[in-house]
Amino acid sequence: MGRLLEVEDLRTHFFTRAGVVRAVDGVDFSVEKGKTLGIVGESGCGKSVTALSIMRLLPTPPARIVSGSIRFDGRELTTLSERELEDVRGREVAMVFQDPMTALNPTLTIGTQIIEVLRRHLGLDDRTARRRAAELLDEVGIPRARERLDDYPHQFSGGMRQRVVIAIAIACEPRLLIADEPTTALDVTVQAQVLDLLDDLRREHEMAMILITHNMGVVAESADDVAVMYAGQIVEQAPAHELFRRPEHPYTEALLAALPDLDDNGARSRRLAAIPGRPPDLIDPPQACRFAARCPYAGCGDSCALEPPALRELRPDHRVRTAHPASEREAVTA
Amino acid sequence: MSATQIAGRVAGVDAGAPIRQSSLWQDAWRRYLRNRGAVAAGILFLLIVVWCIVVPIVSPHDPNRIEFPDAYQGPSWSHPFGTDQFGRDLFTRAALGGRISIGIGFGATLAILLIGVAYGAISGFVGGKLDNALMRFLDALYGLPYLPFAILALAIIGTVNFWTMVVALSVASWFITARVVRGQIMTLKENDYVRAAYAVGVRWYMILGRHLLPNTLGVLVITIFLELPGVILGEAFLSFLGLGINPPDASWGSMAQDGRDAYRAHPHIIIIPSLAIATLVLCANFIADGLRDALDPRTKET
Repeated sequence: MGRLLEVEDLRTHFFTRAGVVRAVDGVDFSVEKGKTLGIVGESGCGKSVTALSIMRLLPTPPARIVSGSIRFDGRELTTLSERELEDVRGREVAMVFQDPMTALNPTLTIGTQIIEVLRRHLGLDDRTARRRAAELLDEVGIPRARERLDDYPHQFSGGMRQRVVIAIAIACEPRLLIADEPTTALDVTVQAQVLDLLDDLRREHEMAMILITHNMGVVAESADDVAVMYAGQIVEQAPAHELFRRPEHPYTEALLAALPDLDDNGARSRRLAAIPGRPPDLIDPPQACRFAARCPYAGCGDSCALEPPALRELRPDHRVRTAHPASEREAVTA
Repeated sequence: MSATQIAGRVAGVDAGAPIRQSSLWQDAWRRYLRNRGAVAAGILFLLIVVWCIVVPIVSPHDPNRIEFPDAYQGPSWSHPFGTDQFGRDLFTRAALGGRISIGIGFGATLAILLIGVAYGAISGFVGGKLDNALMRFLDALYGLPYLPFAILALAIIGTVNFWTMVVALSVASWFITARVVRGQIMTLKENDYVRAAYAVGVRWYMILGRHLLPNTLGVLVITIFLELPGVILGEAFLSFLGLGINPPDASWGSMAQDGRDAYRAHPHIIIIPSLAIATLVLCANFIADGLRDALDPRTKET
């Protein structure tokens, strides 16, 4: 399988009055054709900005892609004109937003909104577009699809609206679907259904997917590869099963430790583990490792307190940005 | 579900049915009907408009014919509003004047909307430096007094007729509308669904035309009835000063001017057009109020 999307050294900064916010500061990753990449991290770590950078949907100013390249199927996206981008968006790369309650125009029927995309990219006539729209609604699991085309967004529940949003996103069979926290705004019971739907659609349409979330459980369920982001950088990247079995970065370890464990009886009486401290200010990030202040292994005199560690490949496909990966720590203490 | 909705559904089975009316407007209509003052004002407004249109057609009197023997008559059966100093029937003439007053009122309001929407939409949609420049320009214009500017505009154009009055009255009064529309567009374009539309490659003019402007319609409808009184009063003021519509054509303002000379002896000549102006303006304000309550999404149903 070839690489569909390659992001290299992406830096997206926001030029604000308070200073330059380095929201994304040197991010590398790639997405294989037909695979799902999960991007996890806490709020404000740059996940969404990364996604919006790929779509080139950030308002400029204040945001600007300062450096780096985003290649989609060999085509450089960072230098495309707005006109060329319009042809890429929705056709090649599509996006599902976090909140389905606001991602649909309340004054237009959902049929109009799906047909709009079909006509825009595929040049279908009204009749064919309408038939296709009904098929799409059917495909995302909306009952009585044909009749519901004439309904307005407020006549749908949150989960159903997210299905509509997904139908719009996949309408033109994009090769890459970016889902930015697609289940965060939904009920827990509906979350699993929407994730399953996304996974099924990805398989059927042979789409690649970037799944952005702060929920480790969501990633474990549907991602092939996982990138963990912290303070605008990727700190660990590995295949999902590898990451959950052998996390290397102290931050990943802490994230996994913070998950409540239902099987562990002792856990009921324990407080949930939390990561002490707060992420660094991205206007003036520390010169050293950005996780150093919260890292339990960073001692004084460590190299990581002076210069930032580079992303290095510990094992094939397993890259980590820390001076204290778990495997090396064990070797030292043993 | 209403009959029209069902009809829409059935028709909707055919491919490519047009966009049907939104329930937003049905809700607004329902809320408007609940406001008795606004409904009464709306009915009265319509009655005045119908009266202005119908009376000159069916009236036995020629509104411009001078009959000195009939001058200064009080209200009677053949002249319900009496006659003026030239013996012209005021009932017919007031209706004719209403045509011009209301016509200029709506004409200028529409012109205000067109200019204001275009200016405001571009400013708000493009944003950034252009927005800044356009808004500073507007700030500079803002200081212009509306009526002197209208007089100046008439002087520059040179001739006074229906259309030049429309131009004169709209040329210095679209600033507020432009600002309101700009504000609306700026708020609307921050909506997720606008970003979502960009994310699927919808072109900018479709976003402006389909996702942004229709959502300002509510505000525009209100603006029509908010601007109308100002424009009608402005027209009346200009005509009263003798700068407006030329005789023998009449507007309510010029009719009031006709009545000024004999206002002590024959007050009905000045009272009738003044009353017409006041009633119409009052109605427009009530309607604007009702519309605002009906269309403002923040108005909660009680």
